[in-house]
Amino acid sequence: MKRDYKKIEPLVNVIIPTFNRPQYFQKALKSILNQSYENMQIIVVNDGGQDVSDIVESFCDSRILFINRKENYGKAFSLNEALKYAQGKYVAYLDDDDMFYPEHIETLVDTLENRTDCQVAYSDLYKAYCKVSQDGSRQVLSKTVEVSRDFDRFFMLHFNHVLHVSLMHRRDLIEKTGPYNENLNVLIDWDMTRRLAFFTDFYHVYKITGEYYHPMGDCDRISVQQRKNKQNYVRNVVEIRASRPEKPWPKIKDLSIIFMTNRLDRQTGQTIGAIRQHTFYPYKLYLPVSQKDFNGISTDMKNLVFVSVSPERSQEEQLDLLLMQSEGEYIAIIPREYPIRDRWIENPLYALINNRGDRIGYLLEDSTDSMWGVVLKKEDISKARKMFPHLSLLDSLNASGIKLKKPEFEELPLQFDNMIQQAFNAQNDGNWMHAAQIYEYIAENHNNELWMKSLSANALYKAGNKQLAACLCHEINQQRPTVSTLLLEAKVKREEKKYDEAVELLTIAERTIDGMEYLWT
Amino acid sequence: MDIARKNASQHDSTQHYEILQELGDCYCSMGDYEKARKYYENAAVLEPDEAAPYVGLGVVALQNNQMDDAHAAFKVACRLDNTCAKAYSGLGMVAQQNNDYRYAFDMYLKSLELDSENLIGILGLFQTSCQMGSFEQVTHYLEMYLDMHPGDTSVMYPLAALYMKDGKIEASQNVLRDILVLDPKNKDAANLLEEIEHNLAQAQNV
Repeated sequence: MKRDYKKIEPLVNVIIPTFNRPQYFQKALKSILNQSYENMQIIVVNDGGQDVSDIVESFCDSRILFINRKENYGKAFSLNEALKYAQGKYVAYLDDDDMFYPEHIETLVDTLENRTDCQVAYSDLYKAYCKVSQDGSRQVLSKTVEVSRDFDRFFMLHFNHVLHVSLMHRRDLIEKTGPYNENLNVLIDWDMTRRLAFFTDFYHVYKITGEYYHPMGDCDRISVQQRKNKQNYVRNVVEIRASRPEKPWPKIKDLSIIFMTNRLDRQTGQTIGAIRQHTFYPYKLYLPVSQKDFNGISTDMKNLVFVSVSPERSQEEQLDLLLMQSEGEYIAIIPREYPIRDRWIENPLYALINNRGDRIGYLLEDSTDSMWGVVLKKEDISKARKMFPHLSLLDSLNASGIKLKKPEFEELPLQFDNMIQQAFNAQNDGNWMHAAQIYEYIAENHNNELWMKSLSANALYKAGNKQLAACLCHEINQQRPTVSTLLLEAKVKREEKKYDEAVELLTIAERTIDGMEYLWT
Repeated sequence: MDIARKNASQHDSTQHYEILQELGDCYCSMGDYEKARKYYENAAVLEPDEAAPYVGLGVVALQNNQMDDAHAAFKVACRLDNTCAKAYSGLGMVAQQNNDYRYAFDMYLKSLELDSENLIGILGLFQTSCQMGSFEQVTHYLEMYLDMHPGDTSVMYPLAALYMKDGKIEASQNVLRDILVLDPKNKDAANLLEEIEHNLAQAQNV
């Protein structure tokens, strides 16, 4: 069914890079061309793989722009190359072995046109587990919506929760984020979604609009193979976390970490390394160095700033100098020996970001009386230092009425993830009822309602509370049916001897698994 | 696809198989054995090491009076899963149809050893016992089943009959009265109770 738009449809670019998977590429490309939304410019990039010209030409569609490169430069390069040709208002992506359902583009365009406060929108996708035969054909064993998470900026800085092929963004955002990072060989997608989060909120559409494939057993996907090299993986993560797009950042306040060390030695080097490895919130690290050291230093760490200070100056004077140079809205100050571990700064920083009170600073969790670190708003510390420059840092903060405290448990970030982990642990221990209760609590208090209710229904069923599981599934199936919830509701109906109702639900589930909903495949 | 793996739910790779098997079970219960067979066959293709589709195929063959096919299907199910109680009761049913009561009895017994709640096994064991005139072991299984499923009148009645046969008249009366509380219109129970009471009255008169 083609749409009859009364208003002008914005042009959408759909980018599909391909490399040596012609058997799947044809189906992927066809799924783009069969979109209900027609005003598209489709950019196919053959990244030096097997020739797919005949496949592209077989569609005879003038909307396709085909870049047929002989050399293999990788996914990030291919995406950047395609973006140079893109002329649309919006950009969407598809991998060459995945597919869109016919309303994918229309759904996201409608959302972005109507939700002008969000410049990125994303939907849900089925993860299709499949057996792959020798001839490359795929037999789908299950289709599950494994991740249907509402946008969470803080988590996005930590790790990805939005599938790249499920999102659409305004093309002009790329001018702000910068291009895809061609130095990365894994997590290329997250690097971009993370940078997009500096500039806009993402809108989550609760609709399943496509699927991506996951072969059972050993997977030959390049990205999966690359993940196996742990050192390489960590290198990529660290590089992504250190990346800072050009300012201004409308959605993220910058953090300046002032490292109060009095010499550049091994201990200082180790601390800098630990900060680099364990910090996911965007930051710049400011380090006082003597003029002599300053002239001889070079580093590949883009967010490390050396500030030349005279060793004769007092620690407070050095701090004031570093403060003047720092550009972050939040300031963290750490002493030389402070132990750095995961979430060392994010825990107190998150508490500070979400605390609506004025004149408050959060002590880093491992702070002691003799060795303490703090994070606070720049305006607060600047005022304190301006009013009481002759006092020590602590005395000046106290004198200006800034209250220092450690974050309470409920102020900590990633509560959602902690609770999900608790639920998974309960499941692994066979405590399904407890898991169901946790999911229900999350659904009520931390968004992600549909996703959590689906998990709760499954846990209830496993716990033996089949009636409640079926009720929950029925409720979900009225809004957004999935294979899992249809199957679960049907099982209970069959056990109740309501065979006609069970067959009806199972038939929909079967058609979804078989892809019969989309006969053009 | 770069995505937060630790938040992913535990996936279930057997959905397609489960859907086919469930559809087979539904159609089988609805009496549409042709459709049921088609779904069980597809399920068996998808998961060739699972016993359940073969149990379903055995039931379909049994319903169609194709005893050789049923026997073959239940045998495959037993080979794939030698703890599948339903497969053994299926073999029992086939043997019972073929008047091989001894073998049927053994198969029902085996199925009850694997799953003492298997109703088909319980009732099959009772029937073959009647057919052979040998009731050893049956009472034990009926009692065990009723411990777990109190109020199942389809098992209570055979138990009452067995008690009566063994001379446990009072126990038999109690079970029959319980049946009539649960199901006042149960004619079999009412008749048997009446017969017992009539016999008792006659004995007292003598």
